[in-house]
Amino acid sequence: MDLRLEGVHKRFGIAVALTDVDLAIGVDTHLLLVGTNGAGKTTLLRLLAGLTGPSEGRVTIGGQDPRRSTQQRARLGLLSHQTLLYDDLTAAENLTFFAGLYGLGADAVDAALADVDLHDHGDARVGGFSRGMKQRLALARATLHAPEVLLLDEPFTGLDRPSARALSARLQQRTASTCVSSVLVTHNVEAAAGLVNRIIVLRGGRIVCDEPWTAGDGPRLQALCDHHQEGQS
Amino acid sequence: MTRLLYLIVTVTMLSAVGAVFLLAPTEKQMGDVQRIFYFHVASALAAGVAYLLVFVSSVWYLRTRDDRWDRFAGVSAELGVLFSAFVLFSGPLWARPIWGVFWRWEPRLTTMLITFTIYVAYLMVRSYGAPGERTQRFAAVVGIVAFVNVPLVHYSINMWAADQQLHPPKVELAPVMQQTKFLCYFAFACLFALLMRLRLSQEHLAARLQALLRMTAHR
Amino acid sequence: MSRAIPGTWGHARILLRKDLVAEWRTKERLSPMVFFVLLVLLVYNFAFELGGAALWEIGPGVLWSSFVFASLFGLQRTFAAESDNDCLDALLAAPVERGALYLAKMVGNVLFLLGVELLTLPLFGLFFNLTAGLYLLPLLVVFLLGSASVASVGTLFAAMTGHSRLREFLLPLLVLPVLIPALISCVAATGVILAAGVPGRNPPLWPAELTVHVGMLGLFAVVFTTLSWMLFDFVIEE
Repeated sequence: MDLRLEGVHKRFGIAVALTDVDLAIGVDTHLLLVGTNGAGKTTLLRLLAGLTGPSEGRVTIGGQDPRRSTQQRARLGLLSHQTLLYDDLTAAENLTFFAGLYGLGADAVDAALADVDLHDHGDARVGGFSRGMKQRLALARATLHAPEVLLLDEPFTGLDRPSARALSARLQQRTASTCVSSVLVTHNVEAAAGLVNRIIVLRGGRIVCDEPWTAGDGPRLQALCDHHQEGQS
Repeated sequence: MTRLLYLIVTVTMLSAVGAVFLLAPTEKQMGDVQRIFYFHVASALAAGVAYLLVFVSSVWYLRTRDDRWDRFAGVSAELGVLFSAFVLFSGPLWARPIWGVFWRWEPRLTTMLITFTIYVAYLMVRSYGAPGERTQRFAAVVGIVAFVNVPLVHYSINMWAADQQLHPPKVELAPVMQQTKFLCYFAFACLFALLMRLRLSQEHLAARLQALLRMTAHR
Repeated sequence: MSRAIPGTWGHARILLRKDLVAEWRTKERLSPMVFFVLLVLLVYNFAFELGGAALWEIGPGVLWSSFVFASLFGLQRTFAAESDNDCLDALLAAPVERGALYLAKMVGNVLFLLGVELLTLPLFGLFFNLTAGLYLLPLLVVFLLGSASVASVGTLFAAMTGHSRLREFLLPLLVLPVLIPALISCVAATGVILAAGVPGRNPPLWPAELTVHVGMLGLFAVVFTTLSWMLFDFVIEE
């Protein structure tokens, strides 16, 4: 499925988040967005998710505006550094709720819980979970409906190294299947290295670097990111 | 253009004041205090027009997302609140000698007071919200809800205070009084236009300044 | 994978059930509201020396002003669960119509308000020596329409003030003046109903004067629910 940004500008009051961004993300593209804080990474992701609209230009998924088309939004999966889960509900209730929104039944919930090794904790409230468990459940929530596009906003934040690595492995599993594309925003280059095949550097709301990447070369990826971020004071 | 408006406003306002105090005959029952009527009614009318403009431009803003409509709505609301405040001020002045008290919970006056509070809240939304597109949207939504509410407020207050109905339903005016009234309407219309023009150009400059700041901040 | 995404009503039902389950577990909205009504009744009692004859004069006003002030608590929390862990993002990125979210939240608010009203009515009756009787039945209609009126604009404005820099104090400033027509009708209708309870009278179940007030209340609820539903899209998008 095709994600497109055409001539996109995004402003918040007098602050500029994105300036004239053109971008096409095709099937099997796994994109890493890097840049310093305020470079516009999260804004770009939120535009793709239909959570916000461009001030100018067009954002489309499969040719349609994600804010208007529920059909296209059903093909997105969103994972963030926030859990996007209800602390007062149990793990199973959370997944059942979101499954219901996508028109899925209880079988999808059981499978998803088992998939992230939380089937024993289905009846426990999410509020009592550890950060790692929450993030696993969040992943289960985001991928419950087998989305064709995964939007990942700093998913490794707050995780220790083993947990981040484990999450990275689970994500790799999901993105390895065909016809899936993903957009990842993160500062954790180590965890990202195995997941991406294209890298884009944003600076001050503009794309300053866009190149393909061979998966697995962590140190070189880190060097590239550092290089592009040094330019900014 | 603005200079011409200044001139027109000065001339029409002076002649309106002259007509009210010198030309119009003294009302038989109420005496001189009735002369407030001309300004009271003209401001009430101006406030009503202003609120209508807030509504129309709010709808139009949501359709077009053009900042100019948002500014127009904001300026109209300011004028509405200004003229309403004058109505609420001149009403009691007139009421004291005629009704015996400054304030009665009388339908039209009460409706004006409630409407006034809604539009003050509207202006608060505009000024407390972070500048930007979201606050403009919120303001437009409030501007629409506020206007739709006015007839409901009026109808329900009428029901609530039916025995307090003190405004005459229809006023028969002598011809000279009639002419004075229309002169007042015209003077207030000119004043309205002038204030609108001044505030709009101010807001326009502010918006341009903001755009410039944005460009330089981005460099 | 085959999937049939539910429509607006289906989504609204799922969202509402989620909110009710969470509320059932925490009671974080209902219990403060009920307690607040109790406190307001106490305050009014000392302020006006209620009980006895004063009841017929200001009883309805006491009842509705405490409901309306308590409802502001509940309205403030309308979107709290969604903003806690950015759950709103997950909802908006899901194939859910914005209108479904409004419906669910609005109906949820109606249910919470009805709950508060029904739970505190016995208290009100107890404190102010209200005689129980069938004549109180029309009060249910007034409670339902009154709650719907409060929830209609209340939900819309809560969405504006909840997740933005517009601080929470703005909610009462916006809601209260807009609600005045509904409040007038609620008080008037309740007054008619309570007056029917004067001992020794055998009133009809539905006094004729009630119709105009209930009609006005119904009009308010319908107009503002429809309008708020239409405008909700503009409020919720970022």
